[in-house]
Amino acid sequence: MRFIAEDAIPRLLEHLAGGGRTVWAPRVVRDSVNTVLFAPWSAGEPVETGAYTHLSAKAALLPPTERLFGFGYLQAAGEERIELEPEEPEESPVLFGARVCDARALAALDALFFPASGGFNDPGYAGRRSGLTVITLACTTCDSACFCSSFGKGPAETDGSDLILYPVANGFLAEPVTDAGSELVRLDLFQDSRLEKPELAVTARVETAGLREKFIDLFSDIDLWRQVSEKCLSCGFCAYACPACHCFNIFDEMSGDREGERCRSWDSCMFYSYTLETSGHNPRPEIAHRYRNRIGHKFSYFPANRGEILCTGCGRCIRGCPAGVDIREVIRTVQER
Amino acid sequence: MSTIPKSGINAKIPLLPERASITRVIQETPAVRTYRLVFDDPGMMAAFSFEPGQIGQMSILGAGESTFAISSPPSQKDYIQFSVMKTGVVTTAIHELSAGDRVAVRAPMGRPFPVNAWKGKDIVIAGGGIGMAPLRSLLMHLLDHRGDFGRIQAVYGARTPADLCFAGDREEWERRDDIEFIATVDSGHPDWSGSVGVVPGVLESMSPPPANAVAVTCGPPVMIKYTLESLEKLGFAADQVFTTLERRMKCGVGLCGRCNVGAKYVCTDGPVFSLRDLRALPDEL
Repeated sequence: MRFIAEDAIPRLLEHLAGGGRTVWAPRVVRDSVNTVLFAPWSAGEPVETGAYTHLSAKAALLPPTERLFGFGYLQAAGEERIELEPEEPEESPVLFGARVCDARALAALDALFFPASGGFNDPGYAGRRSGLTVITLACTTCDSACFCSSFGKGPAETDGSDLILYPVANGFLAEPVTDAGSELVRLDLFQDSRLEKPELAVTARVETAGLREKFIDLFSDIDLWRQVSEKCLSCGFCAYACPACHCFNIFDEMSGDREGERCRSWDSCMFYSYTLETSGHNPRPEIAHRYRNRIGHKFSYFPANRGEILCTGCGRCIRGCPAGVDIREVIRTVQER
Repeated sequence: MSTIPKSGINAKIPLLPERASITRVIQETPAVRTYRLVFDDPGMMAAFSFEPGQIGQMSILGAGESTFAISSPPSQKDYIQFSVMKTGVVTTAIHELSAGDRVAVRAPMGRPFPVNAWKGKDIVIAGGGIGMAPLRSLLMHLLDHRGDFGRIQAVYGARTPADLCFAGDREEWERRDDIEFIATVDSGHPDWSGSVGVVPGVLESMSPPPANAVAVTCGPPVMIKYTLESLEKLGFAADQVFTTLERRMKCGVGLCGRCNVGAKYVCTDGPVFSLRDLRALPDEL
C-alpha cells in the first residue's frame, strides 16, 4: 500500500488546487470559536484531519444558496423583453477529508441531481459532480453520536470515494478506489509502505430492517409521532447538517427594479411554511406531522422510490440538535411498536 | 390493481423557464382571470403539446413562480391558457398583468388524465370553483374527440352566479345536445334562472349510470369530499373515480421535496390520481 506523511498533506492539497480547482477541506472557520466545517481551502491554511465537521460536506455540491439564473427586463425598439442568463457550470471541486458518511451520501444525491446516475438534469450539481474527486478520511475512532455501522459496510464503505486515507502513525495509508485515486497515489508525495491498515471504528447501531413498511403501518398513530417529536423545536438544523437531506426552496431576488436573479436555497421539511398553502391550509401543521415526514422520507419513501435509505449514520443531527432529539431513539421506539 | 407510476415524467423540464408573452386576459369572476400566453420562441410554441390534467408553472420574474392547471385543450395550438385565482403574492402580481406583458413558463408537467384508457366509456365530470380549470381542458378535449366517448354528463358549481368561470364555454356546453351540462350555484340571484344547489346534490339528480363509466372531480376540498360520497352512493368504484391534487410546489420535477403525499410527489406522480391510488397513500391531505 502507499503511504503519505502527515506533513506532506499540505503539498498534496497544493497539487490538487494546482489546476485552479477549489479544494474543500475540514477547517476551523476563522470567525468561529472552534467550529470545524468543510470550506474552500487556500494554501497555508491548516486542515483538521482529526476533527468531525459540524455540518456535512454537501455544500461542496449543493451550495446553501445557489443562483439558478439571472434575469432582466430590457427595453428594445419600444418593446419590453426578458433576458435570461443561465448560470455557467462551475468546475468540479476536490473534496478532501470527507468521512465515509459524507461520501456514501453522494449516491442518494446523484440519483436525484446527476443525469449520469439517472437523476434530473441539474446543471449546477452536474457541473460540480462530474469531475469531483473525493479523498476520504477513514474513521479509526468515533463518538457516541456516530451510527454508520448500521448501514452496509459501515466505516469500511468505499462508495463515493476516489481515495481513502487510513490514519496511521505520522501519516496515512492510501487506498485508491477509482482510477482518479490510483493516479493520485502515483505522485511522489506517496511512498510504498508495509504498514497494515488500522482497525476501523465500530459505532452504535440501529436496526432499519422492515422500517419501510413499519413506518406506513404506524403512519396514522399520531400519538407516537407526538411522543417522539415532543422535544423538537422545528428549527431545521438536522436537515442543514445532514449529508443526504436535499430539499430546497426557490425564490427571486431583485437588484433594482429591472433585474434580478432566481435562486435556490436549502430548505427543511421541519419548517411550518414549507408546505403552507396560500389558502392557509397546511397538510403538516404540527411538528409531529413534519417530524413524521422527515422519518418517512429517510426510511420509507426514499427507499420505496430509489431503493436507498436517506441516512448514512453520520450523527450530525444528534450532535447538533439544540433540543437533544436522537433519531436513533426515534427509530428504536418505532421498531418496538 | 392499478399503481401510480414512479417519478420522473418531468425529468426534461429544467428549472430554467421559457420566455412567454400574454396575448389576452379574460376577467372570469371578481377573483379569477384567465391568461392566454404564447412562447416567445415560435418553434417552442409549434412543438408544444400536452394532455388534459397536466400543469405548468408561470413566473413573473422578480415575484416568483406558481403552479396552475392548463385550462386550454390540447387542440388549441395558438396559445396556452392558465386561469388564475388571486390569492397570494405571485397570483396578486399576475393579476396586475395585461396583454403584451412578459412572463416565463415551464410546462407541461405531471401526469394527465388517462383519457386514452377512457375511450368507449361514459364520462362524468363534477367541477367546483377554480377547480373547473383542468376540467375545462378535459371537457373540450372530449368534445374534440366526441366519437371516442360515450355519454358525457357534467356539472359545474360555484357559490354564486358571479363566481362561475368560462361563461362563453358554458353557453356552448348548455346548447350542445351531445353533452348534458348543468351549471349550478350554492345560492341564487334574481338574474339567475339556472340550477341552485351544491355540486354533489346536482350530480346525484343527474343519476349517471356507473357501468362502463369514469367520473372526474376537481374543486374545493369540501366539495370533493361530498362528491366522492355521492359517487360512491351512485355505485362508482374507487378505480372509476379520478381527481387532481394540489400542494404547495416549487421545482415541479420531484426534487424540492414539499409536495409529497407519502412516497408520491403531486408534481410528478400526480396531479391526477384515481381514488383507488389516493386511498393507498398515507392520509396527509
